[in-house]
Amino acid sequence: MTPRLHDYVLSASCYKVRLMAALVGVRLDLVAVDFHPGREHKGPAFRALNPAGTLPVLETGELVLTESTAMLVWLAQGHPGWTGDGSRSAAAQVQQWLAFSARLAASLGMARLHDMLHFPADIDGCRLAGIDCLREVEAHLFEARLAGRLFLTGDRPTIADIACFPNVALAPDGGVGLEPYPGIRLWMRAIRSLPGFIEMPGIHRLHELRPAPERGAA
Amino acid sequence: MKTGGRVTNWVANGLSRDVVAGVVVPGRWQGVDLAIWRSATGVLRAWKDRCPHRGMRLSHGFVRGEGLSCIYHGWTYGTDGRCRSIPAHPDLVPPAAIRAEALDCAEADGVIWVAGAGEAGPLPAVTGLVPLRSLALHALPGQIAAALPGLRLFPGGLRGVVVLGGIQTSLCLLLQELARGQTMIHALCGPQDDPVAVSRGLEDLRRSIEQGVAA
Ligand code: FES
Repeated sequence: MTPRLHDYVLSASCYKVRLMAALVGVRLDLVAVDFHPGREHKGPAFRALNPAGTLPVLETGELVLTESTAMLVWLAQGHPGWTGDGSRSAAAQVQQWLAFSARLAASLGMARLHDMLHFPADIDGCRLAGIDCLREVEAHLFEARLAGRLFLTGDRPTIADIACFPNVALAPDGGVGLEPYPGIRLWMRAIRSLPGFIEMPGIHRLHELRPAPERGAA
Repeated sequence: MKTGGRVTNWVANGLSRDVVAGVVVPGRWQGVDLAIWRSATGVLRAWKDRCPHRGMRLSHGFVRGEGLSCIYHGWTYGTDGRCRSIPAHPDLVPPAAIRAEALDCAEADGVIWVAGAGEAGPLPAVTGLVPLRSLALHALPGQIAAALPGLRLFPGGLRGVVVLGGIQTSLCLLLQELARGQTMIHALCGPQDDPVAVSRGLEDLRRSIEQGVAA
């Protein structure tokens, strides 16, 4: 079957999965869930699918996955490179950043849900924790760049980059500016340049890659 | 920045290698927000971060070839600042008066410098050092200087030999005031210094300065 993603367009975690699928050329059946304001994911029908009442949910035909990082692993299977170069060190580093992406969701992601959808949160604490995360990413990317690497775990993108990218790129929605992070800016640009990249509200593709409008073609 | 009786209008706004061809980034000079961009052929410009059309931030725009386009309605400005095209009126040649407001902008030793148009003196010299990285602190330039008595003030920032990250390094910290009490440090170090060690030393330094400021 075509894998079915229970999806909310403004969710960073749902976008991770849509983006990964687009990058590896897997078609998804999207089922729009009325996350806000309907809270459909907290209703009995949705909880029958995912008792935790969280989005996204991916039905593969064989499995029902409720963690976006597991969905990235599932989608990347059979697409060499996206889970690392096969080495022990790459495999461990990918896991390191998949776990780190949960910190991004709990800090920058929560600040964004607070500001956009009025989720209750310790907003100052979320933003400070988010800045700590961004500083870690920036310092890591600086050292990676010294070694000639553009992405988190190597010279090509993996599921680690896709897991971390959305909540970093959407940080301004939660009141955390990205101005002070030149390394993150170049990394985000590299991800947005990937063939097959798709957008979500708040994350645009590189406009310069589109042809300029024809002069005179109104 | 006023330092040691000497005044320079030049403010470091980043490291050259962080502003690659075809990108626009935010900048700041004496409280003025900037859009700093590099054309496809490498021409660097620093403009006020305000589109002449409706005031959208040009730093949110995009570079295509030798022009910077505004994200809002797509007005495009050439490296001379003049509006080149208005998508809603493709047959109109935009009047010469429509132009982005430019500041002076120069590059030397891998550093991007910005000054008010026409009022700049010579560039501060940072020769003999190599660009390392830029990082922001929640502290004011004076608080950073106070935390580093081993460095001396010079036009544009602080400079001297210090022990950082466990090693002795020739350090230069170019200071740029951002909004809301933040300062951007553009760091350079000696060509023989281990960049990873200095970078980690700067992270430690930031933690200790911010703890001091918060205390
Ligand atoms: S505000 Fe820039 S084009 Fe309209």
